[in-house]
Amino acid sequence: MAQAPATGSWDYLQRMPRYVIYLLLAGVVLWQLLAPIRFPIVPSSTTRDVYKAIRAAPENKLIIISVDWDASTQAETGPQTAAVIRACFESGKRFALMNWTAPMGAKLANDIARPIAEQYHAEYGRDWCNWGFKSGGANVLMAMVKNIPETMGNDVRGKRVTSLPMMKGVRDIKDIGLVVEVTGLAGVTETWIGLVQGPYQTPLTAAYTAVMAPGYYAYTDSGQLKGMLVGVKGAAEMEVLERKPGLGSAIMSAQSWGHILILALIILGNTGYLLARGRARRERA
Amino acid sequence: MRQTVLKLLAPTTGTASLVAHLAAALLVCALLLFALHRLLGPRGRRWLIAAVTFAGGLFYGLEYFLPAHGKPEKNFLTPWIEPVSVALTVVFAFTVGLGIYSLCQVHGRNVGRRRPGWHNSLAFFAAMVAMFVSGLWEHHLRLPEPLPAVVPWPKGVYEVLFNGLYGPLQAATFSLLAFYIASAAYRAFRIRSAEAGLMMAAAFIVMLGQVPFGRWLTSWLPAAGPLGSLRLEVLGDYVLTWLNTPAQRAIAFGVAVGALAMSLRLWLSLERGTFFSEQS
Amino acid sequence: MNPEVPVLWATAIATLGVYTILYRENPISRLFEHIFVGLAAGYLILVTWTQNLEAKWWAPMVHQGRWQWIFAPVIGLLFYFIYSRRLLWMARLVMGLTFGTAAGYTFRQFFPINAPQITASFKPLRPDLVPPSAGEALHPLRVLDAWGYVILHNWVFAIILFTVLSYFFFSVPHEGRFGRVLGRSSMAGRWFLMIAFGAMFGNTVMARLSLFIGRMQFLLFDWLGHYVTWFGGRG
Repeated sequence: MAQAPATGSWDYLQRMPRYVIYLLLAGVVLWQLLAPIRFPIVPSSTTRDVYKAIRAAPENKLIIISVDWDASTQAETGPQTAAVIRACFESGKRFALMNWTAPMGAKLANDIARPIAEQYHAEYGRDWCNWGFKSGGANVLMAMVKNIPETMGNDVRGKRVTSLPMMKGVRDIKDIGLVVEVTGLAGVTETWIGLVQGPYQTPLTAAYTAVMAPGYYAYTDSGQLKGMLVGVKGAAEMEVLERKPGLGSAIMSAQSWGHILILALIILGNTGYLLARGRARRERA
Repeated sequence: MRQTVLKLLAPTTGTASLVAHLAAALLVCALLLFALHRLLGPRGRRWLIAAVTFAGGLFYGLEYFLPAHGKPEKNFLTPWIEPVSVALTVVFAFTVGLGIYSLCQVHGRNVGRRRPGWHNSLAFFAAMVAMFVSGLWEHHLRLPEPLPAVVPWPKGVYEVLFNGLYGPLQAATFSLLAFYIASAAYRAFRIRSAEAGLMMAAAFIVMLGQVPFGRWLTSWLPAAGPLGSLRLEVLGDYVLTWLNTPAQRAIAFGVAVGALAMSLRLWLSLERGTFFSEQS
Repeated sequence: MNPEVPVLWATAIATLGVYTILYRENPISRLFEHIFVGLAAGYLILVTWTQNLEAKWWAPMVHQGRWQWIFAPVIGLLFYFIYSRRLLWMARLVMGLTFGTAAGYTFRQFFPINAPQITASFKPLRPDLVPPSAGEALHPLRVLDAWGYVILHNWVFAIILFTVLSYFFFSVPHEGRFGRVLGRSSMAGRWFLMIAFGAMFGNTVMARLSLFIGRMQFLLFDWLGHYVTWFGGRG
């Protein structure tokens, strides 16, 4: 939609061309990625709870990392998944990746897990595995709580999950010590709570994109979620707890200055609006 | 009788037997559907649909609400949960073709009638076929892990399509939102009322409290004592945990009750509308 | 073939191609949009077969002789009768099954999800003050601190919860004595909702920015960094 031309200097403050805004945003991000001004990252209580939950998971049970995300949220959920996987390897906990909503998640998470597994000399099938994407929505969880091997069928490499050493003795939800839900999709956590955490009291923790996190503080308050990672900030805080800076920490300085730019733009736009409105009132009087 | 039924439902051995069983089952299904189509009038069909809808909801609801006994706790429906759920995941997997058919119809028409931009539709088909074929080929290669640097070309093509195009295109498309939200925040976020001012204040506190810069900005305030509560990260946490949470919970209660009411209406086939009305 | 460099260039070209839309709508971004949709469609069919149907339907039916699985595609393919006017009712049959099972899930999930939410909303409105030892009085500052915490947290929580709930309560008009109280409570609920929306906006900005920063990281440190050491060392 074409904009009416600015009619005065105050008006110009609130009618800056959009290309200027785009270039400012790109410039700030570029600047901070190339010459970051870093500030200390201090983990929040919700992130600490996730870290504690992973460390407290029973040794003889599996952790499920449900990677229900795709490339659209990869910048946030990718570092979160990496941080959670690293926490599992650090504490010697076996985990299985799975995905029952967005099909891409299993493969993207696999590409994240493989190099981290190499760093920790973890073996696929013994220390971690990837059950892959299972379509069917909530039916997958309904079936899984009763019979995990039958529901999962083959892993992402096409092998029967029952052929993996770590799956020996894993039958149903009682053999799962913790579920970590990493997602950018609304409604996924409610299904986990309704079908798994609530009826079977399986501990559940989560990692969300920042945009959906405000809606899930209610679940941490009620104890249904044992903590949550909020966006890339949560990933950065996990990296601080693990003492292994990664992608999350690298993004935070650009994030800080991006926020400052947006706040400055809001202030600029409102300053122009208020001054233009004042001038219009004076002219009318 | 029971033995006959069990014998009939037993797995088959041998290709010929399997093909015979499959053909017979398909024939029975076709005859059944044909009979239903011919014998049931509009009212009968409506009743059948309502009965199937009711049965679907009744099964899962009843299994949850019926008392469970024994160790592990179960009722007479519990052993059926897993096989029925697995069967439904397979049934719903066949619906993937609905969306694919729609897309192919639209783009096929573009290509067939050489509409402006038809080459884009051709690119759609090429991308779809390439992804499916290379992915299927790669899947059947069963490559060992860890992967070598040099891989067979179907795997290479699949990697280029998935990691080189599919993922990055999705990520780039969504990353455009950063520009749009910056532009929208600048143009549209105007404090025209006290409520808008309150919303802006909350946004400011949360935005600054969530980033390390915001923490640094008020790091000069003592952490302990009442002044510590004025630190941006503490304020941001307070807004999210004690102001935002009850509001979100209240919204969630409303949504939950509404969803329950809607589910009841769907389960009892009380809903009316375009989909639910009589076919013409 | 070593896919590393082709993947790198394909990613960079695709990303920059999509970003051309920031200037204006153009044939390059439109082409990439169509390629994206095609890849998504192909991938969906691929994973549905390899991750679901192959193991759970084809293998049991063909390799284990469980011929009963043939009924699954018969039921599933009934959905496709939405394209036929005469046989549309069969599609509605299986859609009815979908709605029914979804309703069943809602009934199952309602209490596990919402009951803990309700119980967690009952927060103590009075501090639990225990004297350090029998007969000893509590220090006034400690009492003040405890009451301050309870008022600023639990009372605020309860007030916001009830006022926002009253905002969504439309069964009673805002007239008469009770209605006027409800109306004022509803107004307060609106104010508190503004705070929640502000918090959501702040988080939304954070989320969207992260997506763009992620792409810039790739372009600088992975793509340019592959060729220019100065960039590669900084990622």
